[in-house]
Amino acid sequence: MHKRFLLFCASLLVCALVAACGGGGGETNAPPPAAGGGAAAGGGGFDMSKANATVSGKISFEGTPPPNDKIQMSADPYCAQHAAQNPTTETVKVSDGGLENVIVFVSMGAPAGPYATPTAAVQINQENCHYIPHVFTMMTNQPLEVKNSDMTLHNIHAWAEKNPQFNVGQPVKDMVSKTKFGNPEVPLPVRCDVHKWMGAFIGVFDHPFHTVSKSGGTFELKLPPGNYEITAWHEKFGKKTMMVMVADNDKKEVNFSFNANDKGAGTAD
Amino acid sequence: MSREVVGVEKSETVALHRFALFTACCTAFLIFVGGLVTSTESGLSVPDWPTTYGWNMFTFPFSKWVGGIFYEHSHRMVASFVGFLTIILTVWTWLREKRAWVRWLSAAALGAVILQGVLGGLTVIFLLPAPISTLHACLAQTFFCLAIAIAVFTSPQWKRGLPLIKSRAESVSVPVLCASTTTAVYFQLILGALMRHTNAGLAIPDFPLALGHIIPPLTSSKVIIHFAHRLGAVIVTAMIVWTFSRIARSYSDHSLLFRPALVMLILVGIQLTLGALTVWTAKAVFPTTAHVLTGALVLATSFLLTLRAYAMVIEREPACA
Repeated sequence: MHKRFLLFCASLLVCALVAACGGGGGETNAPPPAAGGGAAAGGGGFDMSKANATVSGKISFEGTPPPNDKIQMSADPYCAQHAAQNPTTETVKVSDGGLENVIVFVSMGAPAGPYATPTAAVQINQENCHYIPHVFTMMTNQPLEVKNSDMTLHNIHAWAEKNPQFNVGQPVKDMVSKTKFGNPEVPLPVRCDVHKWMGAFIGVFDHPFHTVSKSGGTFELKLPPGNYEITAWHEKFGKKTMMVMVADNDKKEVNFSFNANDKGAGTAD
Repeated sequence: MSREVVGVEKSETVALHRFALFTACCTAFLIFVGGLVTSTESGLSVPDWPTTYGWNMFTFPFSKWVGGIFYEHSHRMVASFVGFLTIILTVWTWLREKRAWVRWLSAAALGAVILQGVLGGLTVIFLLPAPISTLHACLAQTFFCLAIAIAVFTSPQWKRGLPLIKSRAESVSVPVLCASTTTAVYFQLILGALMRHTNAGLAIPDFPLALGHIIPPLTSSKVIIHFAHRLGAVIVTAMIVWTFSRIARSYSDHSLLFRPALVMLILVGIQLTLGALTVWTAKAVFPTTAHVLTGALVLATSFLLTLRAYAMVIEREPACA
């Protein structure tokens, strides 16, 4: 009786090992295909040569920028070895008094499309356990490629609200996952649940009038003549808006200012 | 509930009981590890199920258990182990146990653990939907109670028959009071699970006040859930104090009742402290996870006390006319 019982237990163990079989490090579930509307790829209705006015400016940061949180990377030896000394998050990045990684976009007044969807893929890389770039913009239905350049595992988890969420594993170096977003969404956070500090923000738009502030907090938008509401959104300091009117070949300057007391990183829509 | 002594070989009886007890202890550990997954927000660090990054979960290399994967994959492995123990427990019970209802209880435990595994998988596949995650947390507590029940019912002491005590003349009998307390604790655990899985843990960030008030402005569903959990804590504490004082007053010489009642009282004190620490530390991993485990232990103790109270305390004989 006891022998039969032990045999049964051993059989169970074997069955358990065989169950849940997988290939061993292959690609896991892929991101879902894009859903919803958005501009059609290829030929769009709006003539972008009409976007000849320039709106440029600077996102200033007043006062002392708050320090970024320190990152504890010891949970993954690979990340700890490849990170800079005393790594921090990339939330607040100020250079020459200007705030970087601010999404600047036309929130009202954009001419009715449709707009041609760029066929070139936007790329985000996971390198040394950071997302590069940390903040970027793209158009609906534009291809997005997510690459893992690390010799460690990452998962790409899109915390979308207006697009289908997805969570994809990339266990192997140089794996690339491709996806699209069908609906406008600002911001669309992406994070890695393996490495809590890894986060990125995407601005997805159904028009091409958007950018991200660069070194020194500068930005530039090319717009057709019109009256626009321009919004600047930052992950920590929230959003600010300004109105601007531009004529043909106009050059206007629009400046935003944030400070440490600005709060609210909610949706920018 | 029959308490007849069943003729089973003594050594095997003890072995089955000990195995059931071991399964219950492993389940408590599993609840702790499950709590760690939520506290460290690692639930989606392994995006696939039942595989792990494409590997068979049992052959996933240990070197890759990094970051959040360590917590999530450990949870899966411990859960698989408990599932394996439950299969053995069920088969063993069906082979050796004479009481049909105990056999069916073990079958129920097996069904619960299978359902629990499926719910765990669904939480991963559907990206932690609050209803499924909450159900997963509640079923964990239910399974824990089932494992404890099997351990209790297969114990030689239970089979021999617990000592009988005549109930005192009281408006609410001790068994009913214990059952009510257990029910209150279980509902409180449901609220706790709902709070964890709707991210309402810091919806009220101050304690003992709530958003600066005794009764906070109920402006959002998260505040309502959080405040309901705090109210539940008051009710559960009152029930446990009441239960303990009743047992201490009337049955303090019966250690089978007094000891679990005392343990339950101590545990609820620890639990209240951990709840406060969870808020004060803004959900630091240790107090938050310990709060989950201690909640399960309060339920387990209350449930054990209820089983014993129903088995031991009998109705008073009617007074002679």
